[in-house]
Amino acid sequence: MSLMEEIIAAVEAMPPFPQVVHRALKELSEPEYEVADLVEILKVDQAVTANILKLCNSAYFGLPRKVSSLKEAVVYLGATQLRQLLLSGAVNKIYDQPNEGYAVFADELWRHALATAVMGQVLRRHLKLKLDDNLVFTSALLHDVGKVVLSNFVADRYLEIEKLVEEEGCAFQEAEKRVLGFDHAEIGGRIAVKWDFPPEIVAAISFHHQPARAGKSYRLLTELVALANNLTVMVGYGTGVDGLACRGHGLLLEKLQVKERDLENLLLLFQMEMAKTCDIAGVGE
Amino acid sequence: MALVTVGIADFKVSNNPEDTLVSYSLGSCIGLAVYDPVAGVGGLLHYMLPDSSINQEKAEKNPAMFANRGIPLLFKSCFKLGADKNRMIVKVAGGSRIMGGAGAFDIGKRNYAVLRKIFSKNRVAIAGEDIGGSYNRTLYLQIADGRTSLKIAKKGVVEL
Ligand SMILES: [Fe+2]
Ligand SMILES: [Fe+2]
Repeated sequence: MSLMEEIIAAVEAMPPFPQVVHRALKELSEPEYEVADLVEILKVDQAVTANILKLCNSAYFGLPRKVSSLKEAVVYLGATQLRQLLLSGAVNKIYDQPNEGYAVFADELWRHALATAVMGQVLRRHLKLKLDDNLVFTSALLHDVGKVVLSNFVADRYLEIEKLVEEEGCAFQEAEKRVLGFDHAEIGGRIAVKWDFPPEIVAAISFHHQPARAGKSYRLLTELVALANNLTVMVGYGTGVDGLACRGHGLLLEKLQVKERDLENLLLLFQMEMAKTCDIAGVGE
Repeated sequence: MALVTVGIADFKVSNNPEDTLVSYSLGSCIGLAVYDPVAGVGGLLHYMLPDSSINQEKAEKNPAMFANRGIPLLFKSCFKLGADKNRMIVKVAGGSRIMGGAGAFDIGKRNYAVLRKIFSKNRVAIAGEDIGGSYNRTLYLQIADGRTSLKIAKKGVVEL
């Protein structure tokens, strides 16, 4: 098998996206979903159910009394929060495995994913972008999922990749492409296809290092994910061996005339939001 | 040995020789380590933004987020534990940028510029620094002897 065939085989071997979460997300995307239907879907998975109740009863919400039924919790959390909780739970598990190729410290991919999702939401809100918040959250959370598959391949050929970065000034992702034939962004896109995610999410993942290549109707979302990724990498949320060796995509900043101080303010808002999110998700900042 | 993490927009000071203070993943942020060898007092600040004038109200709650507020706060907190300004050994790391990330993107550069300005005004000398580039750094400060070390991904640990 050639190296590229091996990588494709590794994509095929990825476990499916958790079906319960997939079905629940689908139900939640209906404009008028039935709480009872949702409960039917969710109760099959005990871990998911326990998670929902745990969040509901966490100090963050400070409810006066304990919520003990799934139905109550579903009603209380509402669609947006429930969707984010389900997604984060599922995606956390996917990133949560030893990642020799990319991670310097444990937990890094997940913290980076979560930070990028929070950053994406903050940017969307404050730059008043006409994008669906769920799309932003989901694609930002999954943007580096290709790293899960590429990890071992990167680890094996690390010295070659590093050499291109150090000596030829390649971005890490460009060096992956040259050494392995694929980069983590396109591999992530393939995983998203395999998992049946919609085309806009596939595009945002596939081109988060080259947003100009995204199809026109997916361009804004992709540019946003690219920028959110740039900013979390910059601030230092879960950057791994690739460090800051990624290209800046400031097109969106230019288009929207975001100046130095505006950007600093956005980072400030992000940091406050992220601290809150880490609290809820039980992640170290 | 206790490893004390200093998160983003945070600082810690200590006079416990068992402690090692650490800031992980400094990108455009700056890690500032100060140490008084006579008093055995050290502190580490991990700030994220150059100037608190962008949002005074939030700065009240998170002074360590900003260079202009965090740096004085770090020194003062060390003085409270008996450190003396004239004995302070000062090391700086971070301020990196993404590739082609000039202009508004380059917060690392502005973070460092403000620090230099504050230091020259207050006549503080920098004993060691590692700034810029597209790396991300982890900075350690050992309270027992003031030793600072720097870890860059896959490049091992070097003394700063
Ligand atoms: Fe990436
Ligand atoms: Fe990323």
